Amino acid sequence: MNTIEEKLWNYIDGTCSDEDRKAIDILIAEDEVYRRKYEELLALNQEFFKMELDEPPMAFTYNVMEAIRAEHAQQPLKAHINKRIIKVISGFFIVSIALLLIMLISNVHTGGSANISVHLPDSLRLPDIKNYLSKPVLEGFLFFDIVLGLFLFDAWLRRKGVSKQV
Amino acid sequence: MQSKLSDIELIEQTLTGNQAAYADLVKRHQRFVFTLALRFAKNREDAEEIAQDCFIKAYRSLSAFQRQSKFSTWLYSIVYTTAMTFLRKKRVDTDSIDDENTYIQLENSSSSHDVNSAENKSRSYYLNQAITQLMPDDAAIITLFYMGEQSLDEISKTLGIEANTVKVKLFRARQRLKEKLEHNLKHEVKELI
Repeated sequence: MNTIEEKLWNYIDGTCSDEDRKAIDILIAEDEVYRRKYEELLALNQEFFKMELDEPPMAFTYNVMEAIRAEHAQQPLKAHINKRIIKVISGFFIVSIALLLIMLISNVHTGGSANISVHLPDSLRLPDIKNYLSKPVLEGFLFFDIVLGLFLFDAWLRRKGVSKQV
Repeated sequence: MQSKLSDIELIEQTLTGNQAAYADLVKRHQRFVFTLALRFAKNREDAEEIAQDCFIKAYRSLSAFQRQSKFSTWLYSIVYTTAMTFLRKKRVDTDSIDDENTYIQLENSSSSHDVNSAENKSRSYYLNQAITQLMPDDAAIITLFYMGEQSLDEISKTLGIEANTVKVKLFRARQRLKEKLEHNLKHEVKELI
């Protein structure tokens, strides 16, 4: 059940229904208590609208802009990079990978149930990988992958944290 | 002198790399953002930190601003979340009933003039004093409605609550402000006698 004050505040704010507004119009015109309360709240409402904003320090804007400049000012514009460039680059990689896969699949000849031989064209002479795959190389490669993975995971978590805060 | 360009035009210029346009946006909104931050922080140093943090966050996320609402509504929602995070960090219990009756004097505030001369005190002084005694949520909702000229719908977007809840909260906040104002004025009359 709305109190008189609640109804009057809704009336002053213009958030009550037409029906309520008409009823309150009549009450204000005929009921002395209602009219006084309405005038009191109306005066208070006008006072509230007169409240003044506080002034920040003089150097506020300067400080904000300096903080932005110091914090890699170009960073927020990352998302503004032309998306066409990203699409072209990703398209290139997708097409290349698709062509390689098609070529690979077309050259696969299954001899038996488990023997699979791949005949690549002569123009594609691949180096003998076995010569390069020594234990230290593999270990180094794995170590690099783990470090890179952790670095990217950390960057992703930071971005997630910032977007949550915002 | 402030720019005559709209908020959206200034945002577009900022996104093309024009930092001066963003400085104009900051100048345009800094007074309200600072005042709103002050409603939560209760002292100018913390309010300045919150307000500055908000503008930096807004700059970082400017390209994500959807333009479905006013820039000010979006900015005030950042102020609200930043201030709440700040309060949580400061371990201030905003829901504590005890705190509601605690008198909080605004340090070095522009509204904290010399109070020795009662004759010089205006009604607006008492209003500012009363609003600093409110709980942060109440003070923020009053500030958004009366000083930020935000509609109930816009406030609901800023605070992330239903418009009807905003209506109820606003009513209660006004009641509490009225009570504080009456209490302070009564106290002042006693002092004069």
